[in-house]
Amino acid sequence: MPNTLIVGYGNPLRGDDGLGWHVAERLRALVRDPDVEILALHQLTPELMDPISRADRVIFIDACEGPVPGEIQERTIEPQAAARAAFSHHATPAALLAGARALYGRAPQATLITVTGADFSVSDRLSPEVSAAADAVVRMALRLILQGATLPVRLRTRA
Amino acid sequence: MPRQKIVIDPVTRIEGHSRISLHLDEEGRVEEAYFHVTQFRGFEKFCEGRPFSEMPSLMARICGICPVSHLIASAKACDEILAVRIPENAARLRRILNLAQMVQSHALSFFYLSSPDLLLGMDSDPATRNVFGVMEANPALARDGVRLRQFGQQAIERLAGKRIHPAWVVPGGVNEPLSAEHRDAILAGLPEALAIAQRTLDWFKTEIERFREEVRVFANFPTMFMGLVGPGGNLDYYDGKLRFLDAGGHIVADGIDPSEYASHIAEIAHPWTYLKTAFYKPLGYPEGIYRVGPLARLNVVDGIDTPRASQEWAEFRELDRGAVLSSFYYHYARLIEILYSLEKMEQLLTAPGILDAHVRAHATANNSEGVGVSEAPRGTLIHHYKVDRDGLIEWANLIIATGHNNAAMNRGVLQVARHFVHGNKLTERMLNRVEAVIRTFDPCLSCSTHADGRLMLEVELRSHEGELLDRCQTR
Repeated sequence: MPNTLIVGYGNPLRGDDGLGWHVAERLRALVRDPDVEILALHQLTPELMDPISRADRVIFIDACEGPVPGEIQERTIEPQAAARAAFSHHATPAALLAGARALYGRAPQATLITVTGADFSVSDRLSPEVSAAADAVVRMALRLILQGATLPVRLRTRA
Repeated sequence: MPRQKIVIDPVTRIEGHSRISLHLDEEGRVEEAYFHVTQFRGFEKFCEGRPFSEMPSLMARICGICPVSHLIASAKACDEILAVRIPENAARLRRILNLAQMVQSHALSFFYLSSPDLLLGMDSDPATRNVFGVMEANPALARDGVRLRQFGQQAIERLAGKRIHPAWVVPGGVNEPLSAEHRDAILAGLPEALAIAQRTLDWFKTEIERFREEVRVFANFPTMFMGLVGPGGNLDYYDGKLRFLDAGGHIVADGIDPSEYASHIAEIAHPWTYLKTAFYKPLGYPEGIYRVGPLARLNVVDGIDTPRASQEWAEFRELDRGAVLSSFYYHYARLIEILYSLEKMEQLLTAPGILDAHVRAHATANNSEGVGVSEAPRGTLIHHYKVDRDGLIEWANLIIATGHNNAAMNRGVLQVARHFVHGNKLTERMLNRVEAVIRTFDPCLSCSTHADGRLMLEVELRSHEGELLDRCQTR
């Protein structure tokens, strides 16, 4: 199995923004494979460039805004340098991939799974729509782990 | 020409949200400058009614960059409420955590926020004057920055269980001893971290000559300095007495027990900012302006008790005859402090008893009041609580490093603006330097106003009648 890095990020105290964090925590409880590293983070920081450069593939999991709460989207991410001054102590997946390539000579294939949030107000719980989507994202991530290096997989699943 | 006002909004590459307004006279010269912190959080109020034992973990939420600093100052205030002397090894472990925090936060400030200006130049293309520009121009420097911050973050995680908002530091000590495995893992990373710190410092010293103009006008004026001073007058981030030093290098007040801070420090609120301004009480405001943080710490101490940092400190102190006054040298001081922190971590991690399991003293509330003071990356941090007979918080006062520095930052913006701003049009050259002087202080506005989000800067140019003449926004 290739070396897979899963990065779920978001603020678990801001309702659905915590989707990535919650999914990563659940995957940590389910996956016991030394070739799979799972990180639950509040935000993406430049230090991630190092582990990203050493992985064969990376799966980012995040919440997003949009018209259809609970909608899951999956897309391939290509390295792209951040816009002016946008890269200080937080970053985007594309910027981290570009940084990994610039500093360590390697950017692995990467997928971003996002779930459209319904409620980002102060809360430590996911909305019902996003909670259902979180179950689906956990299954998607497990499938991706098991499938090995066959990314990207299918696009768009509806919870 | 009518009197005008320039506003920079938001200020970028700092922690939090702020705005700068520059008021011009009829001749287009800068008459006054204001650094507005536009975020508000209110931690001092909403902790009222909470059990004091919750305060360290609650206060750590003030900041995602330096939660460890708040944990430590808060836990120290709670130790006083418990009226306990915490186990020696608990103090040692808290010290190591604070040092690791100093390394990661200083690395963030120097490598991520300020190195684009320092490596690429203040007048370089703003489109590439960011960390990506640094990666392209000097990938080795960028890798060093990432590695050093990673080292600090990992050390925090190994000690406290997680990097951000760890709950390991508690009233009475810490809740777990250090394992041999984690001690060895931190020690194993130290040689590389030390090598990075030394070569970055060596590189920076060769670059300073390029910034003569910035050294001259970046908040370079006489003020007092304040910081904790440990036994023997040495640099100490965890414990000691407060010392005030004047611009000539003379001690103004010394041996101040942290619990007596209110006799020497007062705060005022200005209507144009949410950030309170601290001043030296005996001199009043604005005469009592002082600075804290790396520059202040290296000014107030009599020495450093680690070999490499001590040597660097002696060289640093040769920069001025009295105190080192230019805030541009905050960068220099920050690098020396990284070196010190790493050396000190090594001393403490190899000390006998570092693996002792007795790391917490237990008690209930025995005092109705407690003051906790420690040195955070940006300067002296004061937490002061009063509790009722049930141990519930009745009153809290937090004086944060950025608040101590507020008056000096304002004056620094004025000095830079007077030097670089002329006429009624904003230029990139002027804008970046006004921001850069603030970055030297590495302010943390999330901490100091107790607001969420990142720091951006906005500048507006207004006539004295209030007409908007120009506006810039940096992100």
